[in-house]
Amino acid sequence: MAGDIGSIPELDQKKYDSDEQVKIICLGDSAVGKSKLMERFLMDEYRPQQLSTYALTLYKHTATVGNKTVAVDFWDTAGQERFQSMHPSYYHKAHACIMVFDVQRKITYKNLAGWYKELREYRPEIPCCVVANKIDADLKVTERSFNFGKKQGLPFYFVSAADGTNVVKMFREMMKRAVDYKQNPSDFMDEVMQELENFDLEKKEGNSEADEDALKAESPEVV
Amino acid sequence: MSYEAKRCGVQFSPPSIVLFYEDKETKHVRKRVMPVRNFSKYSDYSMAAERLKNNPRHRDYLENVPQSQLEKLHIILRDHMEGLSLEHSLASFRLDPDEDLNKLDDDELARKKGQMDELFEKNRRRKDDPDFVYDVEMDFGKTTQEKCSWDEESDDGF
Ligand SMILES: Nc1nc2c(ncn2[C@@H]2O[C@H](COP(=O)(O)OP(=O)(O)O)[C@@H](O)[C@H]2O)c(=O)[nH]1
Ligand SMILES: [Mg+2]
Repeated sequence: MAGDIGSIPELDQKKYDSDEQVKIICLGDSAVGKSKLMERFLMDEYRPQQLSTYALTLYKHTATVGNKTVAVDFWDTAGQERFQSMHPSYYHKAHACIMVFDVQRKITYKNLAGWYKELREYRPEIPCCVVANKIDADLKVTERSFNFGKKQGLPFYFVSAADGTNVVKMFREMMKRAVDYKQNPSDFMDEVMQELENFDLEKKEGNSEADEDALKAESPEVV
Repeated sequence: MSYEAKRCGVQFSPPSIVLFYEDKETKHVRKRVMPVRNFSKYSDYSMAAERLKNNPRHRDYLENVPQSQLEKLHIILRDHMEGLSLEHSLASFRLDPDEDLNKLDDDELARKKGQMDELFEKNRRRKDDPDFVYDVEMDFGKTTQEKCSWDEESDDGF
């Protein structure tokens, strides 16, 4: 039922329409350090909420952006990245995306292209960045340039969840961009996109039951 | 009294963790066999490792042995109880930078993450470190950048 996803309060995504609620998603391969980055940023506040049925983890954070207090929900995958694809509800209403790879494993860098493509299918306009994690393992990597995302103008960060380098900076900048995106949908194009999305949603409402079943059928291990 | 852990390993029967350590007072290297009790192939290796590390009889000796190392030794014991070879266990820990970790199941992935944890813990700055800084910023933009070889066989996405 449509109520199925709605009946879990954490997954009621209507709240992301309100001004004070922001949704930021993390993407990237298994073991690149997505969860460790969340943990490093949130420190004592780190209270992940496991939604194992959906193979995802939510982290709630309150931030002051500009002079506004906003409630930020960070969405992290808990194994869904295995399917090299995320359920549409993961992207739904997201206001920014943090894409992570592991500087020690080339394959995780190569796979960014697939993650980015899927992101843009659902969210053509939201701010996104590329994060090179684990630079503590070999600082020399920071002398190299990684060109993925340059063309699209995506900000790039060298970070380490282990020693903390640039983690807080990256999260703060992304929260700011998410709020900016939300407050001033950048241009006419964006408004059109939003209309399209809403339209798409209305259309989908009717068969969200089928969507749900499809999710379960595709990934029985997830339950 | 202070001990410095030198090396550790396992003994299959009875299932035990073995530690070689140096007694800092006498400078002697000694061997300590720590039987692992109530541990079966169904047991949680991470809890068992924690139990051993906190065991009042052993904890002084295990102080500078990382939890991840103890977990690995418990995994080897558990694999053995399931009839898997030592070679299999060791291979499951090995990190191959070209391996696609998206393809692994939970248990296999946890082993690789356990292996990664060794470097992670070593390089980790903790909140209770005296020189801990929450917001560490470093600018890498200005260094002369060589082109990354990972970009070479560039395709449409890059
Ligand atoms: N050296 C180092 N290791 C890291 C860093 N971040 C994560 N790791 C290691 O990578 C493993 C996987 O991280 P995790 O956050 O679970 O990855 P996820 O699957 O993307 O959520 C961890 O167990 C750590 O051992 C880092 O900044 N430096
Ligand atoms: Mg994770």
